[in-house]
Amino acid sequence: MKRTIAYLSLLFILGALLYIANPNYGLKFGPGGSEWLALRYTDNYYITHGLKEVGGMNIVTDIVFDYRGYDTIGEATVLFTAIAGAIALLRPWRRDEA
Amino acid sequence: MGLIVKTTARAIIPLIGIFGTYIVVHGHLTPGGGFQGGATIAGAGILFLVAFGLDEMKEQYNKSLYSALEGIGGLTFLGVAMLGMGVAFFYNTLWHNGPFFNGQPGTLLSAGYLPIMNLAVGLKVFTGLVSALTTIALYRRWKS
Repeated sequence: MKRTIAYLSLLFILGALLYIANPNYGLKFGPGGSEWLALRYTDNYYITHGLKEVGGMNIVTDIVFDYRGYDTIGEATVLFTAIAGAIALLRPWRRDEA
Repeated sequence: MGLIVKTTARAIIPLIGIFGTYIVVHGHLTPGGGFQGGATIAGAGILFLVAFGLDEMKEQYNKSLYSALEGIGGLTFLGVAMLGMGVAFFYNTLWHNGPFFNGQPGTLLSAGYLPIMNLAVGLKVFTGLVSALTTIALYRRWKS
């Protein structure tokens, strides 16, 4: 019974997402021209000003390390925590060491 | 592993290492960067672990050294981010009025702190992934 409700709600969420992803009602795919400037003005700013403001040729690196460096710090922290957790959990039990 | 695998690994591990270092060093010029290059170099370490076995890896792998290097990578990242603290956190002061790393865009010594950050993140990802995989390989208790 519970499982049926779970599958039905999964189906409902999938239908809602498909409705949103329809270009006639929601998201636009591959915007160009004036749509590009209206929907992707942040990307346009990065592409236009990235080379002058940060100095790197690789715009992805410019964004990841300079414009949005806090995100990269968080990402590095997540990696650090994941590896610390994995190593801490996979140590041998105390009675096995001997 | 057998003789052929070991010989091939001996030839390929330096090539993977050089390629990964290239990705990390040219992170501000070509696609790639710290995370991708670090994962590539960690692939070389994992190939070493698989090809030569756990006993050989135990002799080469130093837990304290790798943990310390991972911490140093993260601290270098934070320290370089704090260089322009006079203006703001993550202010690229090396690029705007720094003594070095301020060359013409497109050359290797340009883009301010981006190369240093790429090196730090690459070191961090490499040591972290190698430590994690070695720890998993050392976990040899199939029952209880």
